[in-house]
Amino acid sequence: MKNLPFILIAFFMAFQACGQPQKDTDTIISNNPTNLKLKVLYFHITNRCMTCRGIEANVRKTLDEQFRNEVETGVIDLYIMNCELPENKDLVEKYEAYGATLAITSFQNGKEQKTEDLTNWAFQKAHDPELFVSELKSKINEYIQ
Amino acid sequence: MRKFKLQGMMLIAFLYFLLFFAACSSVSQQNEMNDKDTIVAELPDTLAADQTADSLLHDDADTIKKMVPKSDQPRILVYNFHVTNRCPSCIAIEDATTKTLNTYFSREMKDGRIKRYIMNVDDDANRSIAEKYQVFGSGVFVTRVFKGKEATTDLTGDGFKYAKNKEEKFIEILKTKISEYLK
Repeated sequence: MKNLPFILIAFFMAFQACGQPQKDTDTIISNNPTNLKLKVLYFHITNRCMTCRGIEANVRKTLDEQFRNEVETGVIDLYIMNCELPENKDLVEKYEAYGATLAITSFQNGKEQKTEDLTNWAFQKAHDPELFVSELKSKINEYIQ
Repeated sequence: MRKFKLQGMMLIAFLYFLLFFAACSSVSQQNEMNDKDTIVAELPDTLAADQTADSLLHDDADTIKKMVPKSDQPRILVYNFHVTNRCPSCIAIEDATTKTLNTYFSREMKDGRIKRYIMNVDDDANRSIAEKYQVFGSGVFVTRVFKGKEATTDLTGDGFKYAKNKEEKFIEILKTKISEYLK
């Protein structure tokens, strides 16, 4: 009986180690709304597959490597969100992002202009990070230049 | 007394490792179950083919004529690709595809105008078809075959976007595409 607390801790640690899915937290990078020209949004579900994670990694890579300055000055915002969290419900409905969804929305003088859904494209190119980055870079440039 | 305490500690350590591996093995068992599910999931295609064959044996001549797809009509191939360890979205896409075909296209499935394939891309036997469709993970494709020409629509993105949490929307998209291709 004296050892019961230790046994319970062992139980807890074992289930923590193997039983729980990894939780992702939302990322929102929005540095200066007055400069905003483009929002890049990627939605995902809670239990994610390799392709879904790959798309997020490719999106981050594109912004980190090609648009670091634009992100820092607020020209481009990045939203990575779990579409199954209740706090994201409004954005999920707006973008019809009920599962993995990549979308970009352009802005001019603080007003929302056009949204393009890149989900089908993203799943087609996800396996080729170089091509993904190159094509997404061109797409983003169309909106911010 | 000291020896007894040491034995107690060793027992706790042993229990911890035992529990750790038990928990981990339950996860790998789940993965193995997923593999088994894959085999079960591949059955509908086999079943559909068997049902057609059975009907051919037992039905009358008129029915047989109806069941052989006419060469002047387009044929539709519906592919669900997946990897061995599947995510909820991938499973939802397959389920929604099954519902779409069973609900709206059971006649075309029966008469052979629509063929459905569920394939594990990790399986070497499916390598050439996976390469043809450039699919490396989950995917859902609809192909129209008519007069020796093929046209394909990739609905993978729509599948991931809608199938799990907005199934009716994905079913509508898939139904519309198949209906368009059947014309």
